[in-house]
Amino acid sequence: MSGQTPLPAKVPPASAGPSAAIADMPLEVIGQPGVPFVEIETLRAREFIPAAKEALTSLLKEQANGKLIRPVFNWAGRNSLFPLHWGLACCAIEFAAAFGARWDAERFGVVPRSSPRQCDLLIVNGTVTWKVAHKLIALYEQMPEPKWAIAMGNCATGGGPFRTAYSVVPGVDKLIPVDVYIAGCPPRPENLLDGILRLEQLIKERGA
Amino acid sequence: MKTNELAARLTSKFGEGILGVDEFPGLLGRVRFDAAIASKLFHTFRDDLGFAHLTMVGAIDWIDHREVFYTLWSDADRVYVMLSANLPSDAPTIASAVPVWPSANAHEREAWDLVGIRFEGHPDLRRIFMPEGYAYHPLLRSFKIHEPEDLEVKVRSE
Repeated sequence: MSGQTPLPAKVPPASAGPSAAIADMPLEVIGQPGVPFVEIETLRAREFIPAAKEALTSLLKEQANGKLIRPVFNWAGRNSLFPLHWGLACCAIEFAAAFGARWDAERFGVVPRSSPRQCDLLIVNGTVTWKVAHKLIALYEQMPEPKWAIAMGNCATGGGPFRTAYSVVPGVDKLIPVDVYIAGCPPRPENLLDGILRLEQLIKERGA
Repeated sequence: MKTNELAARLTSKFGEGILGVDEFPGLLGRVRFDAAIASKLFHTFRDDLGFAHLTMVGAIDWIDHREVFYTLWSDADRVYVMLSANLPSDAPTIASAVPVWPSANAHEREAWDLVGIRFEGHPDLRRIFMPEGYAYHPLLRSFKIHEPEDLEVKVRSE
């Protein structure tokens, strides 16, 4: 036992984990070989956004008229329409079914979002009364441009069976601009998917 | 209690204020009363006759006058009774039942919104179905369905 040499003092104690060591490192060192996996991932995500921004701005500078970049945005936008998750009446049941397992609208990049600020598509699915008309306009105005609207079902299209009622808006196009009308009472999920695909076609033709 | 007993008790208390107590199928009776005694009559029905529950408040436009009616339920006697008052069309005003039966709140707002009955003493007499600022009472016989464009202008200007 007496012949054993003591450990060199330079070696760090085993209790100090990699994260403790990384906290003291300068930023440039993180991401080099030997640094644990999680931190490298974080760094990559952090570096990706400025890199992508720089690449896009240089593209936009070169193409001042937007001839090159606009079709890219159009393609990306029309294939990832985000509708507002806002149910009004029985059409909302079909709306929900369209995003369920059986019809799975998400395979077209259509993902319902809960906030109008994250949406570019308003699907009006149901009877709109004059009482709720203000809210509909407010939601539409909160959505960022470019934005589109689908009137789903007979009620949203033209008031449906309640057209002559004192309390019902006879067609939601009295309140907001509508791009696609879907007939049916209620329309099946296939009809909704067809309407969304037609809207994608419309966006492609308009080149917005 | 029978209908004639109810009529005798009410007439002895209110006299001219009770215009009549009719037989009515499914009810203890239909009490027609003068709108001037409404508040006292409500208190009498709740405190003396045991009608603790107000089932509904309704209103009808009969063109030459308007009618407002209340359906009450007594847990002790297990019987309904209906109170009914005629109001002039140019000033359809009656005392609110909310201080006596709080459940009258939403019913009276509905009667104000759709038929235009004014309930004096209601704590919060706003419209309940139509948007605020709407100019009509749509269940009146004089109401016409308006052109959508008129209403559109109305909604946007608010």
